[in-house]
Amino acid sequence: MENKHITIFHGPQHPGITGNMSVELDLIGETIQKATTHVGYLHRGFEKLVERRTVIQAFTIVCRICVPEPDPNEANFAAAVEELAGIEISERSKYIRVMVLELSRLAAQFLWLAGQSGSIGLYAVGQWAIADRDLILDLFEELTGARVYHMYIYPGGVRRDLPEGFLERVSKLLSYMKKRLKDYDDIFINNSSFKNRAIGVGIISKEEALANGYVGQVLRGCGIAADVRKDAPYLIYGDLDFEVPTELGGDVYARALVRRAEMDQSVHILEQVVEKMPEGEIMVKMPAHRKFKLPKDDTWVKVESARGEFAYYMAGDGTEKIRRMQVRGPSLVHAYTLLENLLVGAELSDVALIMNSLGICPPEIER
Amino acid sequence: MKWSVDLKGTLSPLSILGAFFQKPNTIAYPAVKKESVVGYRGFHTNVLADCIGCANCQDVCMNDAIDMIKVDAEYNEKNSSQCIPRIDYGRCCWCSLCTDVCPPDSLKLEEDYLNVTNNANDFLYMPKDK
Amino acid sequence: MFKTIKSNFATADVEVKRQDLYKVVIKYDRLSALIDFLYNNYTYKILNAITCTDWIEEGHFALTYLITTEDRSNTFMIQTLVGREDTKVESFSKKFKQAQIMERDLHEMYGIDFIGNDNLKELSLENWVHTPPLRREFDTLEFVNEHLTFREGREDNVDVKAETKRLRALKKAQKEADKKAKEAADASALKENEDGK
Repeated sequence: MENKHITIFHGPQHPGITGNMSVELDLIGETIQKATTHVGYLHRGFEKLVERRTVIQAFTIVCRICVPEPDPNEANFAAAVEELAGIEISERSKYIRVMVLELSRLAAQFLWLAGQSGSIGLYAVGQWAIADRDLILDLFEELTGARVYHMYIYPGGVRRDLPEGFLERVSKLLSYMKKRLKDYDDIFINNSSFKNRAIGVGIISKEEALANGYVGQVLRGCGIAADVRKDAPYLIYGDLDFEVPTELGGDVYARALVRRAEMDQSVHILEQVVEKMPEGEIMVKMPAHRKFKLPKDDTWVKVESARGEFAYYMAGDGTEKIRRMQVRGPSLVHAYTLLENLLVGAELSDVALIMNSLGICPPEIER
Repeated sequence: MKWSVDLKGTLSPLSILGAFFQKPNTIAYPAVKKESVVGYRGFHTNVLADCIGCANCQDVCMNDAIDMIKVDAEYNEKNSSQCIPRIDYGRCCWCSLCTDVCPPDSLKLEEDYLNVTNNANDFLYMPKDK
Repeated sequence: MFKTIKSNFATADVEVKRQDLYKVVIKYDRLSALIDFLYNNYTYKILNAITCTDWIEEGHFALTYLITTEDRSNTFMIQTLVGREDTKVESFSKKFKQAQIMERDLHEMYGIDFIGNDNLKELSLENWVHTPPLRREFDTLEFVNEHLTFREGREDNVDVKAETKRLRALKKAQKEADKKAKEAADASALKENEDGK
């Protein structure tokens, strides 16, 4: 055989890709020899755009940096602005923020369930997951006024108070979720067709994961209990009781188990938040948007998103505009350093499986 | 790939068949409408009797979506510029900062959000007076 | 640790920003030595991010390396100032694998050359020939005005400040005219009265 090499593009028009990106694959037969990630289909230049806007104006675009879960962006942006401006937010707004963050984590994990099951053809699971995610979005709609881009976590607090009876509706959803999540064990996590496909695929070693700055489920899937909520607690996570689930396999299945356990933890955290929700103000008084100035200083804040550590670097320059905002999502390193190595030697049919298990989200790679 | 008998893993997914006996999650759309949510960020409304034409909304809008224009209407007598906002929905991102900064609270967002048209210029939207 | 850093690397004081965040500003030629020092003597082994800020007024870039401990409980912000024109900086891609992609990103956005990085191809901008976009001299508004068109039908926008001023002046003039007319009317009424007498 002369022409045994073949180069194909996996994505951007492909159901098994995790967004608007593509992977260029060099194949011999079914086996991948070399993988090259390409992004650039979704570059919107947020980091440049915020330079032209006042702080309050910039707040409305940061949620668009990550589509599946916009809230970590808002929380990071607000936290960075508050730290630079020296604003202390009220206890109630901290609790509401944690509630929003955990609901969004749960919603993002459902989206992952849909993607991961869809990548091996179990579409029924995906449809269930999307339906259950919609129940969370219904709550968001009521609380924030929008389903996906909430624009809710505002520098200085949160924008709206909880509607009447909202906490009861959250608890109702949580008791439903507790029952419902067990169904996903039956139909997906313990499903032998998923196990056969996932166990032993996409293995990452512990040393490699630590040295290369991987985050989230990639670390937790190889036995390192890395979680920003525990390592450097923000908001009120220090007062809450939860565990960081870990697995030792380091493969796709281990990461799936970790994510599934995290969904339980999110429900557990939400229960505590609903129970402890204090009364009080939701917003400190903020100056008008043209008068709100950040000092010449910089900071680095991070939260735990559904896919791992999500961090922002922010520098002010004494004017009402932000000098520099850098987004460091989990995906930049995962999509290049990790994915390009992980795919070498894998089968073509496993590409979608591996990509979904890493939770790569292209909008935050190119920002 | 090694094949081994995994009885539980083979049989437990069959529990998905139980979904045949459950009510669907979806709604039969044109027949049944989704309940509108109070506080949803949909179209703009503007109470002309309250609007003072201050253009705060235009100033805070980072997308330059708001034009202050003169129309044939009864203005509030305190409306110093006799202009009212018009929104370009090709640019609006429904962040609702404009409603936050409105001093008389006349500009608001309503629950309705469906705008179907095949003419792009229909994106220029005059807020309803209510 | 702070004292050793200060004396060995001739820096300003290490600034404790938060319990989990330290910051130090250092001369560029000592940067690599400081990162090695933290890597070898402490557990600062993870390169979290490299970021760059453009201080165009002061004529330099502030390159910031964020290095985290192995248990991720502390982050060190190491900032170094480098020139803005034809910036050449040593690459860390040999030491930290993930630096490769971060440097590629910065190269694209600021035009910084990282010596020793083997792949600095374009990342997300295809066929970009303009100024690297995150440099401050790149004006997005100018670029948009040059390359894009705006929706028609929005020309009836009124400058509210000017309009308010105009209306006020109009009102004032009206008032004065009214006043004058009234005075005149009063005067004529007075005259009529006198005439009547």
